[in-house]
Amino acid sequence: MSEQTVKLELLNPRGMVEAMPVSAPNPRIADLTGKRIGLYWNSKPGLDNFYKVFEELLKERYPTATTTWLRGAFLIRDDDADAWLPQIDTFVYGVGD
Amino acid sequence: MLEKMGKPGVFINCTTFDDDAKSASADNGMPALRRVKISSQDFYKLRGKVETVRPLVESVFDDIIDALTEPLTAEESSPPEGKDGVEDTAGVTVTAESYPAAAEEFNRIFLENRWGDGLPMVPPTPERVKWMLSGTKRKPDDVLGKINPKQGTATIEKIAVNAVMAGAKPEYLPVIIAVIEAITDEEFDDLHVLASAGSFNLLTVVSGPIAEEIGMESGIGFMGHGWRANNTIGRAIRLATLNIGQTWPGKNDMALTGRISPHTFFTFCENADMSPWEPYHASRGFKAGDSCVTVGSIHGESQLQHFYGGMIGTWTAEGILDRMVEDLVRTDRRGYFMWGTKGVGKYVGSGGGAMNHMIILFPELVAELKKIGFDQKGLQDEIYKRTSVPYEELNEHERKSIQTAMELGVIPADRKDVFTAALKPGGKVPVLIAPEDLHFFAAGGAPGCAFSFNYYRIPPYNRSALMTKRITGATLTKAGKLD
Repeated sequence: MSEQTVKLELLNPRGMVEAMPVSAPNPRIADLTGKRIGLYWNSKPGLDNFYKVFEELLKERYPTATTTWLRGAFLIRDDDADAWLPQIDTFVYGVGD
Repeated sequence: MLEKMGKPGVFINCTTFDDDAKSASADNGMPALRRVKISSQDFYKLRGKVETVRPLVESVFDDIIDALTEPLTAEESSPPEGKDGVEDTAGVTVTAESYPAAAEEFNRIFLENRWGDGLPMVPPTPERVKWMLSGTKRKPDDVLGKINPKQGTATIEKIAVNAVMAGAKPEYLPVIIAVIEAITDEEFDDLHVLASAGSFNLLTVVSGPIAEEIGMESGIGFMGHGWRANNTIGRAIRLATLNIGQTWPGKNDMALTGRISPHTFFTFCENADMSPWEPYHASRGFKAGDSCVTVGSIHGESQLQHFYGGMIGTWTAEGILDRMVEDLVRTDRRGYFMWGTKGVGKYVGSGGGAMNHMIILFPELVAELKKIGFDQKGLQDEIYKRTSVPYEELNEHERKSIQTAMELGVIPADRKDVFTAALKPGGKVPVLIAPEDLHFFAAGGAPGCAFSFNYYRIPPYNRSALMTKRITGATLTKAGKLD
């Protein structure tokens, strides 16, 4: 290193993030025929219209499938989740963002 | 959560929020969560009506069905073990032909790594960080807690590194540490204020003798530029939250307008010299002689309420009090409709229900209020009483909403008697849950002005968004020395 060279040792400002235990998504349902599909919505405007169309299209393709609107918070509350689990086989989650 | 509880599902998100959704999936331990993107440009424009949004839904319908029914791939079934979002925290070495060139290179690298705030920073060399740590008795590896959204660990050393980068001085460090103690408190909602699209912001008020000792400014221009202590304490908080929590605009900090006062948040101190009241923290159970920080989430760009004062017009304490009452009734009564819902978050009443008000009063006004008999408690009670709305003026929906709020617990048990008594003919229904939801800070010069920030009493993601912590462990000041 020449005398004119400046060397700066710099400490890292980032917080240590612990590796999170990872889990895989659940196995899919092969066919939605007769299945109960939850539509999660946190009341942000517009997603309700999106879901209304989705329900129509779903009914055309899977006439025996049923939908249940799951209206909740930005993050699903524990008590809501406990109540909904027995009512659905699969779900669509959207928060309007 | 439903996926973690065993149900297969799909997450639909707009393209603007795709990085954020991906990041959140990894943060919650499910990086391979199935997601379907919908065009932000189309969704936000077309979502208003069923008929307008129809073509958009048709365009992604098959994708949603496939996400629900197509078998998981081998990669999805065995996602790599928990390294998504985990960064190497090793240091960096920069060499250059001159100090200016090295400093420029340091700033380039740090900003490129998203470790900066866009303004030039001071290089956090080991010597400089050691110097910063001389301001506290705390050990460098002491852990204060975690910062959202990545749950990065806030140690004293990491805070010191960011304080150096911000240009702070060692005597400011105990104040910065106390702020991070508040932010990392298990009950404080840092996620909403640091990441929400709503461009919310952070208010930090220092009270007690340490403010003057470290040269904080509380006179004319107290929320502005030119004050090294105010500005670099605020900037250290900005950098520490950005770096320890690992946020970035448009990636997982979705503030649509950015957060106003983006490099320093809103950071100032009470004007102890001019205020005849006890410091704010005395109203929160601390000793008047303590030095404390109060950290609060506040609304973004549009929720500042001005009560005037100052030099343009004449003012009286009674006149400003009238204006406060009128303003609070007008703004807070609009929230009654939300009281009767569980709220938007984990806890009842979250993200709505009722507000906290952080009201900044200029010292001359505080002196006048004192002359007419008000201390903080008296003023809280007076405003609470005068902002209550006669039962007969409430519409049926408002009455029902307040009744439901009592049933749901949005109105807590210890306030139920007040509202039960109010919610009948002849009664007056408060627009605030409790008088203590009014927080008064004496700050500013002469002349000054009175104004207020507000925010949800219960935030969306945790129990509290307003917290006061005592400053401790200082080594370079007389105040804040207590362990």
